[in-house]
Amino acid sequence: MAALPKRIIKETERLVSDPVPGITAIPKEDNLRHFEVFIDGPSSSPYAGGHFSLELFLPDDYPMCAPKVRFLTKIYHPNIDKLGRICLDVLKDNWSPALQIRTILLSIQALLGAPNPDDPLANDVAEDWKKDEKKAIETAQSWTKQYASAKLQE
Amino acid sequence: MSKIPRNFKLLEELEKGEKGLGAESISYGLTNQDDITMTYWNGTILGPPHSTHENRIYSLTIICDESYPDKPPKVKFISKINLPCVDNAGNVVVSEFDTLKNWKRNYTMETVLLELRKSMASPANKKLAQPAEGSTF
Repeated sequence: MAALPKRIIKETERLVSDPVPGITAIPKEDNLRHFEVFIDGPSSSPYAGGHFSLELFLPDDYPMCAPKVRFLTKIYHPNIDKLGRICLDVLKDNWSPALQIRTILLSIQALLGAPNPDDPLANDVAEDWKKDEKKAIETAQSWTKQYASAKLQE
Repeated sequence: MSKIPRNFKLLEELEKGEKGLGAESISYGLTNQDDITMTYWNGTILGPPHSTHENRIYSLTIICDESYPDKPPKVKFISKINLPCVDNAGNVVVSEFDTLKNWKRNYTMETVLLELRKSMASPANKKLAQPAEGSTF
């Protein structure tokens, strides 16, 4: 396997030495481009109290292309589908090499705090969200309790 | 080339299958849309022309377990077919099918389905008598 680019080594070191509050990202031993990620739900969101597991991969072209990220924990969110795929501009057209793993993870955490049902990936969830926001938020809370409870994963 | 992890490779394959970007003579997709492990897949092969398979549509199941793509997927015909690499329960026998026998990590489910179709159209197999259309294993 080719040597890991300096940029990835630096980013990894900083993620470990100076972690973002509520976010951890640790590379896997057998593939240093493949990270195990945990994001805590923002406190003011329906995902508060949730400890969400994700995986992240840096393709060969990184940082010319965005990292690939998906949720492994089931989540009720209009911009995240049943397979954990995330609809977020900075992961697609608005990616820039000036962004980093940590900025991407912060954007994902922010997306949990600001669901956007007008640009949906999970159409059924987005529709529920627009029809009855209160009920959708309750569902998101109950899924968080059921699938993302930190205690469950310890 | 770095080694793409199983889940991200399967997501790429899924996207190609969903958008219909691949070959027209085959198709594949997840059996259950919410299978977050992406293990169970369905495939179809459109029978190649100028063979006893012409105008038939063959259904298959494909299982990509945790060892995929380091190891080949398990492939099984649902539609009955008479083909040397398929046993009498519909399983594609690894030792009899080169693509699975000499599996490479960059192969995909599309590779498997296209190679099976090629085998159906090969001079040795294209005239094999086939079971009644629509019968299943």
